[in-house]
Amino acid sequence: MKYLSEYRDGTVAQGLIARIKQTATRPWTLMEVCGGQTHTIVRQGLDELLGDAIEMIHGPGCPVCVTPLEQIDKALALAARPDVIFTSFGDMLRVPGSECDLLQVRARGGNIRVVYSPLDALELAIRTPDKQVVFFAVGFETTAPANAMAVWRARQLGVSNFSVLVSHVTVPPAMVAILDAPDNRVQGFLAAGHVCSVMGWTEYEPIAARYHVPIVVTGFEPLDILEGMLLAVRQLEEGRHEVENQYARSVRREGTPPAQDLIRKVFRLTDRQWRGIGAIPKSGLTLREEYADFDAELRFGLESLTVEEPAECRAGDVLRGNLKPPQCPAFGTRCTPEHPLGAPMVSSEGACAAYYNYARFRSPAAHEG
Amino acid sequence: MCLGIPGRILDIRDDRGLAMGMVDFGGVRREICLAYVANEVVPGDYVVVHVGFAITRVDEAEARRTFEALKEMSQLEELDWMREVAEQSLAAPSSGEAA
Amino acid sequence: MTGIQIAAVACAVPLTETARVQLGHGSGGKMSAALLRDRFLPHFGNPILGELGDGAVVSIGGAEIVVSTDTFVVSPLEFPGGNIGALAVHGTLNDVAMMGATPAYLTAGFVLEEGLSFELLDRVIHTMADAARQAGVPLITGDTKVVERGKADGLYINTTGIGLVDPGFRPGPGRAAPDDVILLSAPIGRHGMAIMAAREGLAFESSIESDTANLSPLVAALRQAAGDAVAVLRDPTRGGLASALNEIAQASRVGMVLEEATLPVPTDVAAACELLGLDPLYVANEGVLVAIVRPARAEAALAALRAHPLGSEAVAIGRVVPTNPGYVVLKTVVGGTRIVDLLPGDQLPRIC
Repeated sequence: MKYLSEYRDGTVAQGLIARIKQTATRPWTLMEVCGGQTHTIVRQGLDELLGDAIEMIHGPGCPVCVTPLEQIDKALALAARPDVIFTSFGDMLRVPGSECDLLQVRARGGNIRVVYSPLDALELAIRTPDKQVVFFAVGFETTAPANAMAVWRARQLGVSNFSVLVSHVTVPPAMVAILDAPDNRVQGFLAAGHVCSVMGWTEYEPIAARYHVPIVVTGFEPLDILEGMLLAVRQLEEGRHEVENQYARSVRREGTPPAQDLIRKVFRLTDRQWRGIGAIPKSGLTLREEYADFDAELRFGLESLTVEEPAECRAGDVLRGNLKPPQCPAFGTRCTPEHPLGAPMVSSEGACAAYYNYARFRSPAAHEG
Repeated sequence: MCLGIPGRILDIRDDRGLAMGMVDFGGVRREICLAYVANEVVPGDYVVVHVGFAITRVDEAEARRTFEALKEMSQLEELDWMREVAEQSLAAPSSGEAA
Repeated sequence: MTGIQIAAVACAVPLTETARVQLGHGSGGKMSAALLRDRFLPHFGNPILGELGDGAVVSIGGAEIVVSTDTFVVSPLEFPGGNIGALAVHGTLNDVAMMGATPAYLTAGFVLEEGLSFELLDRVIHTMADAARQAGVPLITGDTKVVERGKADGLYINTTGIGLVDPGFRPGPGRAAPDDVILLSAPIGRHGMAIMAAREGLAFESSIESDTANLSPLVAALRQAAGDAVAVLRDPTRGGLASALNEIAQASRVGMVLEEATLPVPTDVAAACELLGLDPLYVANEGVLVAIVRPARAEAALAALRAHPLGSEAVAIGRVVPTNPGYVVLKTVVGGTRIVDLLPGDQLPRIC
């Protein structure tokens, strides 16, 4: 596929890996924030090939993994209602709530449909006027323009049986939270390429300046990730800490302004709970007053549903990058994709699932930091 | 985040006020919302698509440049090393070595 | 870290036991395996069933015959490249052929939903009749039931195939051995993505067609060329190539190493998978077979596949190895390695 397959060239990849090893005069620790990047790294075995030159800490870049328990439980409550068709991206279906997951609710009779796009959910609402269609609006800033458009369009077309359960998070506050942590070891970041396609990279400039960390906006194919790592390592070797753009074919500094405009029009910033990490101020998006009638929590009276986040789970340590999944005592034994204890093992983008599915028998000793 | 793939715009239409278009992904086609890029694309352009929306235009010149740079970067190893050695021997004072 | 210890860690989410059947139990992955192992086998256990092959070999009155049964519940009933009838005939013929036997007879049971259009039913019947006729396999007995509207997704079909064992040709899932070559007869992912293209909510336009086909002539060609050196035959249907290879690796207690660069995926299938975030290794096929062949006859086997129209794009995709028994490992295009695991349930489209 054009603009995709060429970035998987094995020979070029080998060359880049050698180049990275040659450039690094000492081991460096980088974090990739985005789940899709984690997926490529572990799926292609890149981390193994880099050996000691770079330690990749996998950040909380999986919006599925960090969706608070509360929101999952609200989703389950909605999905169980006979008057509701609950629509969602596929990733969310297996994430465990307090008691069960969406797949189990479906087994019990809940009307749950996987959709590719929020507009498909809106179309479904238009086609089934006698049902309430709720869409689980999860994601980072990449998905916010799509979710914003679905709400805006619902208002424009006068669709009254459509609503959204919002659980959006934003990346920069999470990076700051990680950098602020006393045990932080991250020396540089690969920023999420598609988040930056939408938002540009201006928000990262103050972070790079304040914390003295290189931030390289990086794509998702193996060559993108390797080049991103190389640029980050070069900066570290040269003592620079700038925002650099590896993913130049898809990212500009200003991002996609019309998308930012609609996000701002439909959503506002709010404090958000990140599952496994805790509360991060102003790190989430919620519907503005003017669009509150599309908020499923208000429409179905769920806003007061709070769930005790149980005692700290190792998922938090994994999401903050302090623990490699194979080092978790439950990894592969009590916690597997079939019986997940936490979200990072369920979502195919979660670090635990990535390790379990792709790298399980590599010696845990190889991952000791 | 994440799953955005490049596709080629086949046509652009107005659907009740929203810019939509058929986008081709290596032989597979889907209706995609082009509202966010409508002011900067024409049929034939490539866009990055995420959950049914074009979130940015693919800069084809940049793509070519990136790929060529990557190929070069991965091949220059030997030349770099040779150049470094040559530079070192040039810089070495009265070692008697030829330039 | 000295080893995995089960510590009393308080985790965010309790383990959940499922009390009901979920869709994932039908996916051909780990949940399906557990369903069989934990719910069915304990009660029906016998040595023949225990083989867990595509079919069973039994001896009746001195003749060794293969019996195989399969049920077809695909939705939509008609899809690019075929319909449920084609799957019902080809699927069972293929199961018999994968046991090394020549299919001789078919039976078919139909569950019809009240309201099913006769035009559709006629098309399905014609397709089945054509497929059976082309294979030279008569439908010798069957059954039909009708259920109330809303209860059968239009139509469900069960078919059973009966064939004669060839004593000199007994491939089986437990027969793979280190150094065997893994051959794939055709590109993967067509059937599953053709179905996906028609599914509401995920639909896309494409010219991807199901690859449903009767593979017994291809198997006959393999038998001719390599005989007993063909250790394992399997058609990777639900769960895809990954699931089939994992089952074989576990049954034979061997490891496997595949080369990612050799895996044949048609461009449009690859594109559709990219769009939805699916991995072609787990997508169903209906016209593909995997042959695991002793190294001495591997080239001959590959040539035989390639000489047949159904196998013209056959490739060697890897080898059986003694390391990491039960695991299928992939050498990636960039030179790394990863495990190709069995999925717990259905593969889900993703956004991340």
